[in-house]
Amino acid sequence: MPQPLSHKENTLFRSVVKFYEAKQYKKGIKASDQILKKNPNHGDTQAMRALIMNAQGNTDEAFALAKTALRNDMKSHICWHVYGILYRAVKNLEEAIKAYKAALRLDPESAQIQRDLAFLLVQVRDYPGYIQLRRQMLQARPSARQNWTGLAVALHLSGDLAAAEDILNTYEGTLKRAPPKTDLEHSEALLYKNTIIAEQGDIERALEHLEKIFKHNLDRTGVMELKAKYLLELGRLDEAKKAYEELLERNNDYRDYYFGLEKSLGLDRSDPGSLDGLKQMYKTYAESGERVDAPQRIPLDFLQGDEFREAAEAYVRRWLARGIPSTFANIKALYGDETKRQAFQDIVHKFTSEIESGTQSSVDADAKAKGRLRSAMLYFIAQHYDYRLTRDLRKAMDFIDKAIEQDPEFVNLTMTKARIYKHYGDIAKAAETMNSARELDERDRYINTKCAKYQLRNDENENALTTMSKFTRNETVGGPLGDLHDMQCMWYITEDGESYLRQGHLSLALKRFKAISDIFDVWEEDQFDFHGFSLRKGLIRSYIDLIHWEDRLRDHPFYASAAISAIAIYITIADNPHLAQANGVPKDLDTMDAGERKKALKKAKKEQEKLEAERVDREKKAAAKKAGTGGDGEAKKEDTDPLGLKLVQTPEPLEEAQKLLTPLLLLTPKSMDAQNIGFEVFIRKRKYLLAMKALVAAHKLDPEHATLHEQLIRMRRTLDDLPAPLSAPTAAVMKEVSTILPASDSLASFNDAFLAKHKDSVTHVQSALRVRALLDPTSKMQNEKALVATLELPSITMKDAQGALSILSEWKSDAVVRQGYAEAASKKWPESTVFSPK
Amino acid sequence: MDIRILRPSDIPHVQQANLTNLPENYFCKYYLYHALSWPQLSYVAVDVSRPQKSPYDPPKIVGYVLAKMEEEPTDGVQHGHITSLSVMRTHRRLGLAEKMMRQSQRAMAETYDAQYVSLHVRVSNAAALGLYRDTLGFNVEKIEAKYYADGEDAYSMRMDLNNLRRPVLDDSASEGEAEDEGGPVGSAGKKGDGPAAGKDKLRKVKVGRALGVGNLVERVEGSKAA
Repeated sequence: MPQPLSHKENTLFRSVVKFYEAKQYKKGIKASDQILKKNPNHGDTQAMRALIMNAQGNTDEAFALAKTALRNDMKSHICWHVYGILYRAVKNLEEAIKAYKAALRLDPESAQIQRDLAFLLVQVRDYPGYIQLRRQMLQARPSARQNWTGLAVALHLSGDLAAAEDILNTYEGTLKRAPPKTDLEHSEALLYKNTIIAEQGDIERALEHLEKIFKHNLDRTGVMELKAKYLLELGRLDEAKKAYEELLERNNDYRDYYFGLEKSLGLDRSDPGSLDGLKQMYKTYAESGERVDAPQRIPLDFLQGDEFREAAEAYVRRWLARGIPSTFANIKALYGDETKRQAFQDIVHKFTSEIESGTQSSVDADAKAKGRLRSAMLYFIAQHYDYRLTRDLRKAMDFIDKAIEQDPEFVNLTMTKARIYKHYGDIAKAAETMNSARELDERDRYINTKCAKYQLRNDENENALTTMSKFTRNETVGGPLGDLHDMQCMWYITEDGESYLRQGHLSLALKRFKAISDIFDVWEEDQFDFHGFSLRKGLIRSYIDLIHWEDRLRDHPFYASAAISAIAIYITIADNPHLAQANGVPKDLDTMDAGERKKALKKAKKEQEKLEAERVDREKKAAAKKAGTGGDGEAKKEDTDPLGLKLVQTPEPLEEAQKLLTPLLLLTPKSMDAQNIGFEVFIRKRKYLLAMKALVAAHKLDPEHATLHEQLIRMRRTLDDLPAPLSAPTAAVMKEVSTILPASDSLASFNDAFLAKHKDSVTHVQSALRVRALLDPTSKMQNEKALVATLELPSITMKDAQGALSILSEWKSDAVVRQGYAEAASKKWPESTVFSPK
Repeated sequence: MDIRILRPSDIPHVQQANLTNLPENYFCKYYLYHALSWPQLSYVAVDVSRPQKSPYDPPKIVGYVLAKMEEEPTDGVQHGHITSLSVMRTHRRLGLAEKMMRQSQRAMAETYDAQYVSLHVRVSNAAALGLYRDTLGFNVEKIEAKYYADGEDAYSMRMDLNNLRRPVLDDSASEGEAEDEGGPVGSAGKKGDGPAAGKDKLRKVKVGRALGVGNLVERVEGSKAA
């Protein structure tokens, strides 16, 4: 039971609470000490004291004291509440929920505890628990609209749409008279209910309801979009047509509206009979104004043949005449279609001869307009020849040089020149050129960003950071890099990590990839405050959007690419624990002879010492500046593991990999990369059924995938070679799901057939050769020869060739062989710098 | 390029566009705060014609306008504010900035009965100034000395929205060939303008994950325990 305090101490206790709320922590500690002097085992006071200690940053002591408080007073809701707050603060939501539930049992009426617990429950998506609690909260305070909405939201999120609608209706029924038309909360609530009706599939009723609220709703765009959509879904085409026309009058740059109008007019792009109708429809809009783009651009998607050719040329010319440099960006998607690509080839030839003869513009245009057109045309042609599907880098370079000659100050041109170098494989020259582009406009962050990116691609990590620092807040703890982390600058962190990975700095690379995963944790946490905020504001539709987004947060490529790279590092470490011990070890360490190896390790050690020294230096400087603050204004602790050494030396790399893998497989099951890396983790963890599951999923995506091919064979060999047989139930399931695996006695012929079938695809050939090396170690020379021969395949890319080099390292091939390959690749791509060691 | 409302799921790429183009940056949560407080006001420009690389490709955001209502207007007049606007260099001069701005302004008037919209722009940013003054019709209200964290002054600009406050609006009448560079417009709340951020911070907007959203906007309802 809560221990009674004397009157004086009771007053003191209340002041402790007040001091805490006012953030006067020292006073709070002092006052609590006074109470504890007389009542050393007073649980509530200890709990409050723990809370203050936590706020002061002493988390461990706070937990210890909070536990003592609980031991002294198990029946105090304050002690449990504090315990919950502490767990919440360290983001252990499960334990926090347990503590809050205990607190609520002791003090079932506390609105504060109810509210805090409610937010925790929805944060972890415990919908049954959330609904139950929301019901209690509604019963306790039925006068507040947000308690009704809160229950409706809980029901809605759990999927019980009808019940959600009922609750909203009941509340509306209690309103004696309609709120004023300017009441945004009410306006939003009505629209929220409308979306719930539609979500139940009853579009008829949704439309009926929408029409009632249409006129006075404050979100005009919102109601107009819903109305058009409902009408179309109900097949009321005439009205739908009108609704989409009205939307287009407000915004004629939104494809959804045009597509809606097409459907309302009964037009179907796959039906040639619709063509005239389509053309007419877009023509009407195209004529509505000079600056409108969509109705001019969209027809290029469906027009074919000569009509396309004419329209495309007219479209491009119109933009070029106005000197718009973004023209190519606007049409390049059409290059995916082969005949359209050919049409653009012809257009570009035409432009080229006009440029050469100087007739690119009509005679009556003034000199300025002529110059503008010529420049835009040159730029367009250069981009055309730089584009992957129509690439001719020599021509691209030629035209971009002409364009730069005419217009040397225009940043985009030099930027494109850098890009052309990149496509040549000359990443050093690319970075250098991008830096010249940056120097043309040092106040523009876009070009600054590009420059840093190109520097990272060239593994100039320090230069890149210096470039970035021109626009970061450098007084932040951790300097520019700290600021980039604070500001959640994902692209930089990821590229920096990839660069360290290329250089063999596993720990730093892992550090960066882990930082990306941490930012996603922050983003997940970010929704927490909105559980209450959005209900208070009564803006529910965007809140529901938020929840749905958060539910699939980690399906984002920012997460996937960093997670996959991090998992690959953990796998490398699991396979080669010695790599975790030294930073900056070249990946091909194993292929080196003893002397080289000693040198490399020594170099790596030196590197590490240098970095360590730098870190100490930075720490000193930071300490000298006394307590620094992060970008968010809160005091920030110095990173105690800036090089990621502790991170990389984890005793359980596969468990760490698993943590990153789980969301990947859950949210991006259709990603081949995710399934491939999933297999690698599971097979090492001896989770054979899960490994098999990844293979089955990959097989569904692409049964002929190169990596899958290797993994199928490895799986079969693993199963054939188990140290102990699978348990009976596992074996039964395995038998059922493993039908995609090749038979044990025909692995070589399975592989040969695969090789023959895909002899023109470099990645497939590489896979088959790796498999052959695995099945038959005596085939090494034969495989090396075959790998070298892939350089002659027309489809080979520089990336493939780089892959081949790592395969040779993996095979521990002779230095002569590797060098021979690199030289042949260099010959094939003479401008490239990626095959010659720097 | 599509012009449409910003959704929460767009935020990673809106944030990326902002970090790519402008020196004034914000946490994800600050974008969320906009998207959930004034869901009708922020717009994005999306390159919809790019071929998908994976089934999980997010929409390619090439420009955005992040907008809000002034919560406690000092002049007591309901008005909107442009927090940030930018367009990728590869997609400039397509008129995207203007188009997004017009959509946002109309929503301010229709949904919140805003009487005017305000914004800040660096005095050195001629392209953006051109867009606001010449294309959209903003006026320079005053110069705010040392508004930006790097010490640069800002033009404080505003535009009357009274003609938009009627439901019907003639949007297509936008005049001729105004240059729209879509150039960067920095605005309030460079990261860490929160109250605790130190004396060199120049603005009153509170940002950041350290503050609960509640603290960003309203007083926290209750306070803990007892």
